Amino acid sequence: MAKTYDYLFKLLLIGDSGVGKTSILFRFSEDAFNISFISTIGIDFKIRTIDLDGKKVKLQIWDTAGQERFRTITTAYYRGSMGIMLVYDVTNEKSFENIKNWIRNIEENASADVEKMILGNKCDLDAKRQVSKEQGEKLAIEYQIKFVETSAKDSLNVEYAFYTLARDIKAKMEKKQEASNPPGNRSGVHTLNDTDRKRQPTSWLARCSVL
Amino acid sequence: MNFQSKANKYVCPNDRQLSLRSKLRTGWSAARSEPPLTQNEREAIAAVVKRAEKVDEVEARRVGRLVSRLEGMRRSASGPAPRSCLLCGETSKLLAPLRTCSMCQNTACPKCVIDTPPHRSPIYSRDQYMCNLCAETREMWKKSGAWFFKSLPKYILPDRRATGRYNDTELAKSLQDAGNSSNEGKTDSEPGSPLSIHPPIFSRQPSNTDSRKSISSAKDHDWTETDILSHGVSGLSLHRTDSLNQRPLGLKRTGSKGSAYSLRSIRKEVPKPITQVERPPTIPDSGFGTLEIKLAYDNGTSSLAVTVLRARGLIGMDMTGLSDPFCRLEVIPREGTYSNRLRTKTVHKTKNPEFNETVHFFGITESDLSTKSLEILVFDDDKYGCDEMGSATVALRECLKSPAQLRLALSGASGTEPTGPRLLLALCYSTKRRALVVTMCRAAELPAQDSNGYSDPFVKLHLDPDPYHKKHKTSIKWRNLNPVWNEEFLFETRPTELSRQNLTVTVWDKDYGKPNDFLGSLVLGASSKGRRLKHWMDCIKFPDHRHEQWHSLTDTQHL
Repeated sequence: MAKTYDYLFKLLLIGDSGVGKTSILFRFSEDAFNISFISTIGIDFKIRTIDLDGKKVKLQIWDTAGQERFRTITTAYYRGSMGIMLVYDVTNEKSFENIKNWIRNIEENASADVEKMILGNKCDLDAKRQVSKEQGEKLAIEYQIKFVETSAKDSLNVEYAFYTLARDIKAKMEKKQEASNPPGNRSGVHTLNDTDRKRQPTSWLARCSVL
Repeated sequence: MNFQSKANKYVCPNDRQLSLRSKLRTGWSAARSEPPLTQNEREAIAAVVKRAEKVDEVEARRVGRLVSRLEGMRRSASGPAPRSCLLCGETSKLLAPLRTCSMCQNTACPKCVIDTPPHRSPIYSRDQYMCNLCAETREMWKKSGAWFFKSLPKYILPDRRATGRYNDTELAKSLQDAGNSSNEGKTDSEPGSPLSIHPPIFSRQPSNTDSRKSISSAKDHDWTETDILSHGVSGLSLHRTDSLNQRPLGLKRTGSKGSAYSLRSIRKEVPKPITQVERPPTIPDSGFGTLEIKLAYDNGTSSLAVTVLRARGLIGMDMTGLSDPFCRLEVIPREGTYSNRLRTKTVHKTKNPEFNETVHFFGITESDLSTKSLEILVFDDDKYGCDEMGSATVALRECLKSPAQLRLALSGASGTEPTGPRLLLALCYSTKRRALVVTMCRAAELPAQDSNGYSDPFVKLHLDPDPYHKKHKTSIKWRNLNPVWNEEFLFETRPTELSRQNLTVTVWDKDYGKPNDFLGSLVLGASSKGRRLKHWMDCIKFPDHRHEQWHSLTDTQHL
């Protein structure tokens, strides 16, 4: 065991073809940017270990192909992911409109407690912008999902986005543990009478009544 | 969006699929022509899948280390006793009074507890303590990702005995535990036994396991050498992600059989030592064992005779680590709707069955030999349904080659998630309430029993044997084949008892004026097998955690 870690979080990037999912991941994992467009074949993943509040968190980030023809393969990876990034392109209105479809796709295929986040990529291209930041924020509020505008090219908010998602997952994990402790407090249809407590022997001090 | 993956594309989609499709505005047609994946694309994806499996294996080993660490702590703990520490056995002192763990309600000394941050609710204003054992369990639940997946993910235990395939080691481990607990259970009933207050999970390892281990590893040795082989199994599919990476593991399976149950299998097999006839080569075993068959084709009667000789190194399914295997054979692709399935007899209580049985397929033409293939599925014969243990496919043209005796490597069961009528339920042993909490979450694809095409399902459940004779029923979900209940039921029991009890779940269709129709049943417990046994064992091994799992329902009705 060379490099060990405390938690493994599986993240997933989805969104229309060409919005820059692979570029975002490339920026996050290698801190580099490639101007040419090579369509992802099916799926790919990258790994980066980050530090969150003193814990080593290994992020396995799955990058999916946006193309329709790989949909069968990509949807198979929804179920195992703890966090999903929905990416759209601010210079392409269609990709923004499709976010709703992607969200529906998540609801259909992913686990119910998956953490989501919306990224508006290519925000460096202000001249070609078709989707305003306000529109993105409005959509995010509507679905109660966090939102940030990013640029893989200028390395803007990419780190922030992944850290935020990872932190949200970690917070959810802590909350879940908190909720399961103590387990007796969960509400149920049938609850047991509190006879257990009485059956326990009382302390010897309490029994010593007459001196 | 692809909806074809779930259903046959020639069958009319159900209402839900249709409504979803209409929302997506992708049209109503399910059969869209998309170019299939090219060879290069397949290879690229397979490479990624392979890379992912390496990551998964690292993760499985890490989780295995966490599990074994916790097991170690459990084993070395002295067990709950009044007025002494759960972990180190220290008795109460004036300056260091014992604390009560807020999770398991056992007492522990100040060295063996941690302070938990005060609870937000005002009811818990006083100090909260958690014993190291509960804290560790909780930590493991977080670190392994079980908090998200609702049950422990697959893991590989780090010790040398556990290099086999994932399930095998898990099973072996749980079997070992179960073995311990059932031993313990016996001493439990003896009057005045000092161990009687200890639940089984705290039992120490019996000291004689080492000698058993050495017998079994010596015994297993002749196996590994003959396990290397080379023959055509069905091609690599993208969706089956487990088998690729396990070859190196599968070869090292020397020890996975050796544990608490090895003694028994040895005793059985010593009278008839395995004679190694010359083996035609096949491909490496992927951990599911191997199968030897002989093919013979008769031109005159146009019949194919398949002799199933024996299987070796099958996976263990039941509590003792043994299985009751039988083979189901079918020539595929089948013609028309007529299915030509044949099965062998069941050989009971073994992982290395000698079938020596010949079955005949008639009406196989010579042209079929070049186009068709034979599919062999190995099942575990179980009172409550059959579980697939592995499968192999062989092209029929193999029978034309001179030594038609083949050794096939079995590959794993096709689907890990059950299909067909199934039930999602969660088990949780609550040490605080001293009860097994069963949450009946939902069911799916139940059979329709009423004339309206629906059923009115409800679930009955009871524990057997149960001194309290408690029986529970869920509410009735009217006209619903995929009901969601999310109802919780309690069975008072002790963990010692739990390893001898079975939870029987039956699903019924409510009818007025005539008896209720039976829809399916499920038995979870020490006598169940495979997935179900693992679920039960996880529940015993990791109390105070919810273990959620899908199980397929069987249509056998038992009492």
